Amino acid sequence: MICWSCQRGAGAGPLCAACGALQPPDDAADLFGVLGQPARFAVDLAAAESAYKDLSRQVHPDRFATADPQARRASLARTVQLNQAWRTIKDPVRRAEYLLLRAGIDVGDKKPAPGDETKATHRVAAPPAFLIEILELNDELSAAKRAGDAVKVAFMAEEMRTRARETMKTIGQALDAGGGGLEDAARSLVALRYYQRFLDQASGEGGDGTL
Amino acid sequence: MADALFQIAEPGESRSKHACRTRAVGIDLGTTNSLVAIVDAGKPTALTDESGDAIVASVVHYGAGGDVVVGADARDRLAVDFPRDTIASVKRFMGRGPRDAEATRKLTPYQFFQGAGDQSVVRFAVAGGRAVTPLEVSAEILRVLRARAEEALAGPLAGAVITVPAYFDDGQRQATRDAGRLAGLEVLRLLNEPTAAALAYGLDKQAEGTFAVFDLGGGTFDVSILKLENGVFEVKSTGGDSALGGDDFDRTIAEALLARADGADASDAHVVRRVLDAARALKEKLTTESEASVDVALAPGKTTTLRLTRSEMEALVTPVLQRCAPPLKRALADAGVERGHLSGVILVGGATRMPLVRRFVEEWFGQKPLADIDPDQVVALGAAIQADMLAGGAGHDDVLLLDVVPLSLGLETMGGVAEKLIHRNTTVPCGARQTFTTFADKQTGFDLHVVQGERELVSECRSLARFTLKGIPPMPAGMARLEVTFMVDADGILRVAAREETTGQEASIEVKPSYGLTDDEVEKMILDSFAHAEDDVKARLLAEQRVEADGIVAAARAAMQDAPELLEDGEREAIDAALKGVEAARAGSDHHAIRQAVEALDHASKPFATRRMNRALEQGFRGRAVDAVDATLNETPRGPGGR
Repeated sequence: MICWSCQRGAGAGPLCAACGALQPPDDAADLFGVLGQPARFAVDLAAAESAYKDLSRQVHPDRFATADPQARRASLARTVQLNQAWRTIKDPVRRAEYLLLRAGIDVGDKKPAPGDETKATHRVAAPPAFLIEILELNDELSAAKRAGDAVKVAFMAEEMRTRARETMKTIGQALDAGGGGLEDAARSLVALRYYQRFLDQASGEGGDGTL
Repeated sequence: MADALFQIAEPGESRSKHACRTRAVGIDLGTTNSLVAIVDAGKPTALTDESGDAIVASVVHYGAGGDVVVGADARDRLAVDFPRDTIASVKRFMGRGPRDAEATRKLTPYQFFQGAGDQSVVRFAVAGGRAVTPLEVSAEILRVLRARAEEALAGPLAGAVITVPAYFDDGQRQATRDAGRLAGLEVLRLLNEPTAAALAYGLDKQAEGTFAVFDLGGGTFDVSILKLENGVFEVKSTGGDSALGGDDFDRTIAEALLARADGADASDAHVVRRVLDAARALKEKLTTESEASVDVALAPGKTTTLRLTRSEMEALVTPVLQRCAPPLKRALADAGVERGHLSGVILVGGATRMPLVRRFVEEWFGQKPLADIDPDQVVALGAAIQADMLAGGAGHDDVLLLDVVPLSLGLETMGGVAEKLIHRNTTVPCGARQTFTTFADKQTGFDLHVVQGERELVSECRSLARFTLKGIPPMPAGMARLEVTFMVDADGILRVAAREETTGQEASIEVKPSYGLTDDEVEKMILDSFAHAEDDVKARLLAEQRVEADGIVAAARAAMQDAPELLEDGEREAIDAALKGVEAARAGSDHHAIRQAVEALDHASKPFATRRMNRALEQGFRGRAVDAVDATLNETPRGPGGR
């Protein structure tokens, strides 16, 4: 990379090795790499967080409020990337999704635009039997909510939370095992999304008054 | 002594006094009150006027002669006589369209401009046939604060940090930033009010842990959950209601008072203004007293005494206060924090002075809230610290503010569904990118509709902007690939760019609210104001001095007419001479001369005024109601033509 300010080699860091000017980020950079962490599920969150904060102190727009426009743009883009990296890595679901995406497996819940097939990603769908089970659970939950059966709603939610926790653990292990484990992780991740929706339903608005 | 020594020092010396101050200021542009603060010798300090008052009432009066008066004079005197031309609580209208304003229009003395053409922005119809936007009204307040800061720093400013409610949406933020530009300020940053408060609090008290900031101001309610650790101020979540505040308490009380008062005409702007003022006065008295009353002229020649007990008031406003609960709950849930597990709850905003509000907060969080820093000043002080840091002030290298997007941002997709690109409580600055495609064969344009809000349906979200990407070659449905990029900067303001990938056709906009002002309109206002900037400051000072002079002249005349027997030999002549002096100065255009003449009059009439007051008090003890004495003492004819 050539520094925009001094036109010399800028080196690999956020700041130019020659003149210290803030450099724009590499848009294609790996988000784990942005925080200096190895790309795996079992990540050292404390180390990632402290890297995030140390880097933020260096590149945040608050440090460049009166700098020239090019440095301000670099600061904005760097911080956007840093925030994106930390947001992705700190949350287990987003972290798992990102690890799969790196491996070419798309479990995003957005519909792909036609033409996306050309990319090397393939999508994972939930098996029909699983969907039927979830539908039945949802119906049961709705009925309990309609009947005002708070005990049952709480019980179902607790069961689902346990299930979600177990699933998350499996996903983590499968991801770090690599190989065929990735497909399993992807399927579990899709399932987890349904569990989460179920839990949102269970704690949904209008449940327990205002206070 | 030290002051006197300073005054005789060489002119160059005063420079060194300012050397340790950065020239960047923090501004709290509040619904009811506004303040400006600087960091002086490492300490944030609110700047005061000549009488030591830090607060500028956020009230702007537009006179028939084109003059503009801002502050307590506008609130206490002009609003009573010219309710339509005196705009209070303008913040509630920022970035809002006429339809949004409907809700706040239930009980208001204002008249809205019903002109043809652009109906997308609220305009107040004020004296002289003018129509002013909320942005322009806010800019008037900011100009006063800017003038105060420039005087204190003896020169132009390097920039300003202006605070906004955390829950302000994109349109409200844009309007605030544009108001700053219109007032001639370089806006370094928009800072969320609870974050500003946490910054002032955290640095002053060396606080560490997870805190809630409960900010109930004149017109907005914010709650933010922050983690304070090693100089990092990290907002975990924020929530609120940008149309809930002390004003709503006033309005609720006023509506009850109106319903009780026989024959009061709720369609009369004067009556509405007086009842709203009475409601505010009662509410403030009831902060310390258990019952209170005020006298209000609700019909010509008829004074009504309005009484209220604290428990009556609390019963009236409790339903309004309860509206704080859902945002509180959601903010805690979003932050993943239990209510009992907070290190502290920081109170911000004038409305948190009410015992009822403190009780509510204490009960809700299960702990006594913190109010060690003046809740009226803490936001401005935090903004000053941030301004100092942005302008490169020393000593805060380890401080880092991480704030969030208050409301999700998205695009309208098929079927009127909002597709969220950036979720609420994402740390700013942040970006998102998503690909869309065409749904019809040979479609050559994309209509993009940018929305903000949490609801699934676009119709229930706030519409921020619409724009069109044209020039796409005809293709079968689903073939075009439209990549949309959202970018939210550190001010919380959104930019949207769209690009059709197969052709490279691009469109990019800084989102302008559908109901806001265009860049061109703002630019024109700014250019117009440059042309008049110097004149404006002088005209304002002059207008303010004239209003003050008129009040004092009228009061002095009334007093002499009321109690001529109290005048001693030669006193009438002396006062008359001073009165003439004021009138002569008033006819001129030198505000310093008016001020001096007013001071001379004050000096000449002081012994007489003291005698008159003493007598009134004596009479009070002889059986007259003290209220009536107060009323006579305060009987100041109001403004020009007030008699």
